[in-house]
Amino acid sequence: MPVEIPKDTWSGSVCTVTLGATTAAGGTRSHTVTVGGHKTLPFMHFEQPMAHRPVIALEIRDRRPDDWSPLLLEVWGNAVDDPASWANAGEKAGADLLVLSLSLTGADGHPTTPEAAVAAVKAVLKASGLPLLVFAPGQADLDNQLLVPVAEATKGERLVLGICEDKNYRTIVATAMANGHLISTRTPMDVNLAKQLNILVRDMGIPADRILMDPTTGALGYGIEYGYSVMERLRLAALQGDGNTQSPMIVTPGAEAWKAKEAKVGQDVPAAWGDWRERAITWETLTAVALIESGADIVVLRHPESLRRVRVASDDLMAVPETI
Amino acid sequence: MYIIGENIHIISPRVKDALQAKDARFFQGRAVAQVEAGAQALDLNLGPRKKDWEEIFPWMVETIEAVADVPLSFDSTNIMGIEAGLKKVTKAQPIINSTSAEPERLEKVPLLAKKYNTRLIALTMGASGIPVAADARVTIAIEKLIPRMLEIDFPISDLIIDPLVLTVSGCQEYCPELIETIRTLQVAWNPPPAISVGLSNVSNSVPQENRSLVNRTYCAMLMGVGLNTMIGDPLDTKLKDTIRIIEQRDDSTPVGRLYLKIYDRIAAMETPVIDDVDINDPDQAAIWKTVQILLNKVIYADAYLQLA
Repeated sequence: MPVEIPKDTWSGSVCTVTLGATTAAGGTRSHTVTVGGHKTLPFMHFEQPMAHRPVIALEIRDRRPDDWSPLLLEVWGNAVDDPASWANAGEKAGADLLVLSLSLTGADGHPTTPEAAVAAVKAVLKASGLPLLVFAPGQADLDNQLLVPVAEATKGERLVLGICEDKNYRTIVATAMANGHLISTRTPMDVNLAKQLNILVRDMGIPADRILMDPTTGALGYGIEYGYSVMERLRLAALQGDGNTQSPMIVTPGAEAWKAKEAKVGQDVPAAWGDWRERAITWETLTAVALIESGADIVVLRHPESLRRVRVASDDLMAVPETI
Repeated sequence: MYIIGENIHIISPRVKDALQAKDARFFQGRAVAQVEAGAQALDLNLGPRKKDWEEIFPWMVETIEAVADVPLSFDSTNIMGIEAGLKKVTKAQPIINSTSAEPERLEKVPLLAKKYNTRLIALTMGASGIPVAADARVTIAIEKLIPRMLEIDFPISDLIIDPLVLTVSGCQEYCPELIETIRTLQVAWNPPPAISVGLSNVSNSVPQENRSLVNRTYCAMLMGVGLNTMIGDPLDTKLKDTIRIIEQRDDSTPVGRLYLKIYDRIAAMETPVIDDVDINDPDQAAIWKTVQILLNKVIYADAYLQLA
């Protein structure tokens, strides 16, 4: 008996957002990366082709991180002491995008200065042609002090500036608009708050094609199912035509997974947990792949082997004939 | 609409302070204001009063009964406090608010209601919380709440089922389900039990400037499925005007016609549609947007009225 596969059609779609600007467009990137544009749920190729595949960003820092797992420091080697080398290594590892996270303090313990932040961003832009996201440390005053000069020094690059939160978004949005950049918003795992912040930033006049949203997630075993549901609901609302939920979604499974005990701790754990490195990479990979399936457009990772495995998984998911 | 006035509630800082000071005139003022505004009963939510229930509950009854004749609704989890208050009642048949289907409460509270000949509000909430789905809430009413009343020979005419309003800000999926719960409850038993809800819960944690709009729009929708009793704010003149418009079928204003249309659509098991609304009229547009969030068609956000 022939089986007819039911197909959904939706009235809304996800915004298309292009990160980075090439020389022709007023930037210096070797190419751009475009995300979003979806007209149906992820990987429902038989309903609509995926407008743009999910992409993988690699997180690097402006200096050697104080709190990263030795597994990560080991795999990146000396590159962690120099953002330009790290950017290069990240590009070689196959990243689509780079996320440069600015540290709260310099190695000397003093707050990161605007000059140091601008220098790190410029060094990364010079070392790699990948589109770049720059995330400030997450303290309102310092974030604004760092991001404004970074935005001005890189005018026209279509960087993504983050992170806009409900208590601190005005300055970041304003400088992004003034200097031709994009923004990333973040709200704590709640559909109502995600939508609210989208309304607030758009109320300032930033166009929808310059907004990414991070609905926040937890790692595998640490609330991922809740984050997954929030993302799924936001995506369904977007497809139903709710204009304030239609931004492409970015999530940080790398940061989340490497906080989990299973990834972080190599000693004094049950022998049945097996090899530490393999476990940690599996944790990061599975967290990321689950989120891609819930609609993430950009996943931010930390380990090159996780990056490779997530790429394999997303290639499989994108292989149209295999999925039906 | 039978309104049980909600304005003596411990969550209000002024009520809390007045209770601390045993300020009888404050409570008498609140009671009289509500009754004069049309409240037909008064809810008294004093919290559990674990330390001073023996004193506070009877004191409150004496204080209120000195100025008002309407039924008093004892809204507390402290069953001893409620009983202390009931002993003092000399005027109208009081109300106990509430029992639920949790075994311990369902065991004790209906017996107290029977002993003191009160009406009893019973929540469609079991030991595992409040179900989202309408039929699950109806099931609690007909398999747990009503059988318990029959078991102890408590008159069903004194039973008031409260199928539980939850806030649109965070529990949005409950909002449309409640409408269907109320619709179904009225055919779930013969004779149908009375139904009441705590209307203002729907706008908990909604910005103050939008609360009345959310409350009165939901009220119109719930009236469409037959709601005729609620715990609510009798001092909210816009809410009362919406109730009046529907009860009198006053179609003399555009907004009134929209409320009637919403009421009629819900009553006919239809969904209000955009053609029912003149979207260029800001008042109507606001009501329409509110209907959309209450039906869980559009995700709630505090700034939902700002959206095109």
